[in-house]
Amino acid sequence: MLELKGVTKRFGGVQAVNGLDISVAENEIFGLIGPNGSGKSTTVNLICGIYPVTAGEIVFNGKNLAGLPPHKRLRAGIARTFQNIRLFPNLTVWQNLLVARNSMEDVHSQSFLARWLGETRHTRGEIESILEFSDLADKADDLASNLAFGEQRRLELARAAAAKPRLLLLDEPAAGMNREEVQDLIHRVRGLRDSGITILLVEHVMQLVMNVTDRICVINFGQKIAQGTPDEIQNHSAVQEAYFGTTAGDPD
Amino acid sequence: MEDFWIEAIELTQSVIDGLLFGSTYALIGIGFTLIFGAMHKLNMTYAAASIAGAYVGLVVFVFFSAHPLLVFAVSSLASGLIGLLVYLICFRFIPVNNHLAALMATVGALFFIDEVIIHITNASPLAFPALFGAASFDLGAVWIRGDLLFVFAASVASTAALLYVLYRTRLGLATRAVSQQNVAAQLCGIDVHRTNATTFVVAGLLGGIAGAMTAASVGVLSPLLTLPITVKGLIVTVVGGLGSIPGAIIAGLMVGAAENVFLYLRGVNERDIYVLLLLFVFLVFRPNGIFGKSINRD
Repeated sequence: MLELKGVTKRFGGVQAVNGLDISVAENEIFGLIGPNGSGKSTTVNLICGIYPVTAGEIVFNGKNLAGLPPHKRLRAGIARTFQNIRLFPNLTVWQNLLVARNSMEDVHSQSFLARWLGETRHTRGEIESILEFSDLADKADDLASNLAFGEQRRLELARAAAAKPRLLLLDEPAAGMNREEVQDLIHRVRGLRDSGITILLVEHVMQLVMNVTDRICVINFGQKIAQGTPDEIQNHSAVQEAYFGTTAGDPD
Repeated sequence: MEDFWIEAIELTQSVIDGLLFGSTYALIGIGFTLIFGAMHKLNMTYAAASIAGAYVGLVVFVFFSAHPLLVFAVSSLASGLIGLLVYLICFRFIPVNNHLAALMATVGALFFIDEVIIHITNASPLAFPALFGAASFDLGAVWIRGDLLFVFAASVASTAALLYVLYRTRLGLATRAVSQQNVAAQLCGIDVHRTNATTFVVAGLLGGIAGAMTAASVGVLSPLLTLPITVKGLIVTVVGGLGSIPGAIIAGLMVGAAENVFLYLRGVNERDIYVLLLLFVFLVFRPNGIFGKSINRD
């Protein structure tokens, strides 16, 4: 459903992503890993439209995304979370979810009056179920900035889910989490996939990557160096060298 | 002893008049603060656009003898439209990180609007219609001017309408989301450019009302009004804290009252010197304003 064909991104003289080919299948959990600075986050930013590609194309559901601004990519079905948490700090948990939910197509087809007045009973029901799924039901009226770190991470994921995406980009969702929190995250990511969402996971934390992904692509210096199942990747020599050899001790 | 009471009553009268008129400063301050919240940049054109809006309202008055209420409405709409133009010219296509370019563009637009007004009116002041100019309410020792009461009521109504839109509607939620985290807002499906443009229009609508009120209170409309309103707007924004709407409201009333107290104590020639000193007092001792907090964005 998502295809990157020869995607290249240059920032001035720096080649962040170089001729990257990736193909993510419907309802797959696809891992994208690589050392720091290998171009993972840039790839996510290219897919969700924060930067334009220098060369190559990104095709989503048979549609070339070139020139489509980020807010339209969300409406096309691509949502994401951020490595460094980017919640709306002075909105409540509920409002954070409502902002994302308000972007949905069905909202845009509502009458002017209904849109002006905001949330409908249907929307409320959906947000309540997302809060339930994210274990944030009792925090609905708290400001996002007052949440604990783990709760903020869950809200990031919940907000992305609230937009009911077909493709969810997770940019290092386990960063800074302890083992139990990662275990909890594994269940949530699987739950999202079971609800029909395709997931592209960019991650350093091997506990998460090796446990949830169907396939993994390893990149270094913006280029693909290996691709395969988690088992294949763990035993791949080029990966050992480029990735585990250099950053095995780095918990990030 | 009798002198003391007379002075106390006159001072009270000054404070009341100042608080009532200060509501227009509050509106201007809210406009500055709204735009700062959305763009994290100052829009120096704002007060000039408000006065320009009032001029458009005056056109309706002079050529169609429209009712003053309609004049206020036209002023507001015109100022909203000018706000949109200012956004398109000074912000939309200037790189987000180039703060200086946007600031200079708005300063340029301020002078440009001023020059256009001076050119069209030959720099001569024009009479502006007031509502309830003759009415007054006697409260015993002090009294309340009808025109100032109207100004105050209109400001309160405009502010209430703004707060309703900002805190109770989908548009307001999107506006607040953009001002707090604009990258995430885009990736939550919000068209940031359109939301920002809307913010400029809404701020412009408020500014036009404030511009028309100022002209109505003074009795004339003149290009000389743009400078003092710009300055008062900036002072209110600094005193209230950039990005804080409650701050702008309180600071607007405070500056209005302080201005009249200085006027009473030191006379019209010295008044603005002390008002300007307020700016520096706050910049040095409370740079984040009376509430010490502004809308943040990383």
